[in-house]
Amino acid sequence: MTTTDQRQVDMMLNLGPQHPATHGVFRMLLTLDGERIVDMEPHIGYLHRGSEKLCENESYGQIVTLFDRMDYIANLNNELVFVRAVERLMGLEVPERAQFIRVLLCELNRVASHLLFLGTYGLDVGAMTPVMYTFRERERIQNIFESVTGARLMHNYIRIGGIKEDVPSDFTARVRAALEFVKRGVDETDRLLSFNEVFLLRTKGVGVIDAKTAVSCGLTGPNLRASGVPYDVRKDNPYEVYPYLTFKVPVGERGDCWDRYYMRVLECHESISMIEQCLDLLPDGPTMTQTRRIARPPKGEVYVHAENPRGDIGVFLVSDGSDKPYRLKVRPPSFCNLVALRPMLLNSYVADSIAILGSIDIVLGEVDR
Amino acid sequence: MSVTLLDIVWAAVGAVALVTAVSILGVSLVWLERKFLGRLQGRPGPNRVGPFGLLQPVADGIKLLWKEDVSPGPSAKVLFYVAPLLVFVPSFVVWLTIPFTRDLALRNLDTSVFFFVAFSTLSIVGVLLAGWSAASKYSVLGGFRAAAQLVSYEIPLIVIAITMVALAGSMSFVDIVEAQRTVPYIALVPLAAVLFFIAGLAEIGRTPFDIYLAESEVVGGPLVEYSGAHWAVFYLAEYGNTFLVGALTALLFLGGWSWPFGTLPAPAAVALFLTKSYFVTVLIFWVRGTYPRLRIDQMMSLGWKILIPLSFVTLVTVVVQRFYGWPSWTLTLMSLATLALAAWLQTRLQGAPARALAEKYRRDAVVVQAKPRLHREAPAAAKVEASS
Amino acid sequence: MIAGLKGFLTTIRWVFKRPVTANYPEEHLPVQPRYMGFPALLWDTTADEPFCTGCMVCVRECPTQCMSARMHDNPNFAAGTSHRRKIIEHFEINYNRCILCGICVDVCAFDAIEMTHEHELASYARNGARADLPILLSQGRRWMERSGWRPRNPEKNVAGVALAKRAPATAATKLDTGSGKAPSREDDA
Ligand code: SF4
Ligand code: SF4
Repeated sequence: MTTTDQRQVDMMLNLGPQHPATHGVFRMLLTLDGERIVDMEPHIGYLHRGSEKLCENESYGQIVTLFDRMDYIANLNNELVFVRAVERLMGLEVPERAQFIRVLLCELNRVASHLLFLGTYGLDVGAMTPVMYTFRERERIQNIFESVTGARLMHNYIRIGGIKEDVPSDFTARVRAALEFVKRGVDETDRLLSFNEVFLLRTKGVGVIDAKTAVSCGLTGPNLRASGVPYDVRKDNPYEVYPYLTFKVPVGERGDCWDRYYMRVLECHESISMIEQCLDLLPDGPTMTQTRRIARPPKGEVYVHAENPRGDIGVFLVSDGSDKPYRLKVRPPSFCNLVALRPMLLNSYVADSIAILGSIDIVLGEVDR
Repeated sequence: MSVTLLDIVWAAVGAVALVTAVSILGVSLVWLERKFLGRLQGRPGPNRVGPFGLLQPVADGIKLLWKEDVSPGPSAKVLFYVAPLLVFVPSFVVWLTIPFTRDLALRNLDTSVFFFVAFSTLSIVGVLLAGWSAASKYSVLGGFRAAAQLVSYEIPLIVIAITMVALAGSMSFVDIVEAQRTVPYIALVPLAAVLFFIAGLAEIGRTPFDIYLAESEVVGGPLVEYSGAHWAVFYLAEYGNTFLVGALTALLFLGGWSWPFGTLPAPAAVALFLTKSYFVTVLIFWVRGTYPRLRIDQMMSLGWKILIPLSFVTLVTVVVQRFYGWPSWTLTLMSLATLALAAWLQTRLQGAPARALAEKYRRDAVVVQAKPRLHREAPAAAKVEASS
Repeated sequence: MIAGLKGFLTTIRWVFKRPVTANYPEEHLPVQPRYMGFPALLWDTTADEPFCTGCMVCVRECPTQCMSARMHDNPNFAAGTSHRRKIIEHFEINYNRCILCGICVDVCAFDAIEMTHEHELASYARNGARADLPILLSQGRRWMERSGWRPRNPEKNVAGVALAKRAPATAATKLDTGSGKAPSREDDA
């Protein structure tokens, strides 16, 4: 063997599925030249539960619980997109109060999801404190969810035609109080992490993806916006009561890990302001359309998409007129964002693989479904 | 000079006493670290075993000893089991010459700094062996990282130690401490103290330099395949080393037992010295609670491009100052100026642009204006679907 | 470096604050009034029998198929003390599979099942979390005492009221059946 040949012997490193930092059970097969990544092959499916197929055997009401379990960090957003698909198919008019409450809770859930991201991203790059702080704030949001929906994680609250029941009487006060805490919490994490020298070193210029590649990879959500593409479903294809809210869509320009991280910090603030607007505008009225107990959408198909904390989630629903969908397909933002992992990873370091994977903010439950 | 049996017995007693003392100190650090980190993070920390969870490390130790000691099939067994000792022994041998007070040291060598330098480098071999012999890719990666890191951060550490030797005019820790009776060296050469602390952090593999252990990347690096008692030995060595950095910083920069009270009775002196050492270790834990982890290449460039030049600058300034007999405040001034320059450069080159960018993102976000809401009457009876 | 120092100040502040964490086994954080713990079956005190008629709607609608039920003829109906022709004979919920979705409560037309606050039901046996009828009923009774539960639809479901409506002569006057409106669970707990 010549010396050049010896240099060619790269090391294959199996990162995952039991690796602590792959956010679940994602597996990367890295080909390393020293510490440099020359090739990467993603392996997914360890968490595959066949949700889409399962949906074909569950009635529409039951499917909401399945959607809870896809992106288990942003359950309400997931419920909403499915419920909207069914409502669109059935032509249901949802009472405005219900819509406001849905949007409010979804934005709360977005904040909770981003808080989780901020904390775990700190962990990914080795800072162990932010996660404790953000979980503290997230806990307040979870408490609100518990008081409204009765569950902390799997809510099953957004129902076809409205919401399960009206919010409790002290809802507004509680949300306002929690928002104060959350604002402080986001600021605290911002102070602790965002401009920390080491954090900047670790994230600036790492995992860069330009706007063109990002679009062609199908990146959406904060990841896409970090690359400078101002695409947000809430802005470009508003649904529910988003048209009645004023908000900013933060857009980055570098497309590196730090931008992706910072987009989420900024989005937390925007979501908080949206929640406040919702609270101000919250009308009175019923929270549920009168429908049949068992939803039977007419024959037809519909595609509905929405802005999840992780990106553009789409639901394609085919109904054959029975109480179960004929086919249901989800466009999961985490899965599509994962496509961009390879272009970001190549030629970076092993340590970056974690920082980059973390910055995409995937939820394996949604990737594998 | 003939060695009598009594000498040997005394040496054995001393060694056992030392290992016990250092182990107790190390174990106390385990508790301290977990408690302190817990409190930093708004958690209570260990609070189950014993009062304030004080016995938690004991419980941990018992658990570790009871665990099955497994080794991977293809590992090089002998090296695999020798490696922990190669890490453990040097980290304890170094303590031989560390004085707790003027008279309380196992061996009061005149060249104790040199002894420390000579032995502290040894543990690299153990870490590298541990990484290599485990036949796991993660541990190999970690082992190589450790080798690179430990070797390069030895240099600033040693250069700073030499600086302090030059400052005190002696290679003995005792003399260095006694020389700080009135003014601790941290007041004279703050830059050196900072450099020593940073290099020390890297030497013991603590955040932000826990690169070779990095749980989120190489999952514990060289230690990934160890379990049970062997792992406990590594663990103990790590905490022994952590305390060593605290003790050395206290000796070299904080005036050990002599500043600010001068000569104290032995127990008080030991207490003072231990307090200072614990203070520095708490600082280490505080850094761990605050900072993320560097990347290997960044750490190398930090070491080679910043720490090593700066430590040589410190050495040169000290030597020049001593040679020409300038007043000592000039040293402080130079040191502080260099430190300030480094801080300014960092802010200028890294912090400020990032803040500017953040401000820009905040400002230039795309604004989506709300449509005025059509004031529909809230639908009293919502649309009723015919039910059948 | 300034940012790093700010970070130090941020973290050290917490050393002087009270920890946020609750010491779990000693200290239980309160659950919210609407909290959905495991479902349990409720007891109709007016007829001294469960509300549940074993109609199987919840069994069919449960997304995880974790329930099973069997009905039989209600002896109390024959005796005239109840309006329920059929009554539950055997009911089982496998709490290991229950996902606490609350669908069973939504679909039950007989006010027979309710989400309680029960949630610490860990067991060592693999089948230890199967709750049969007596367990479910005792949990339900505990829940009724704790929360002051009221049926949503007493005219239809509470034996005393339903019978009274059919035959006003036997009006069970001492019954407190609530307003008939679904109680808001905020008043509970
Ligand atoms: S709980 Fe309700 S739905 Fe279920 S079997 Fe009993 S009566 Fe029917
Ligand atoms: S709560 Fe849901 S999963 Fe549990 S028994 Fe009821 S319907 Fe089934």
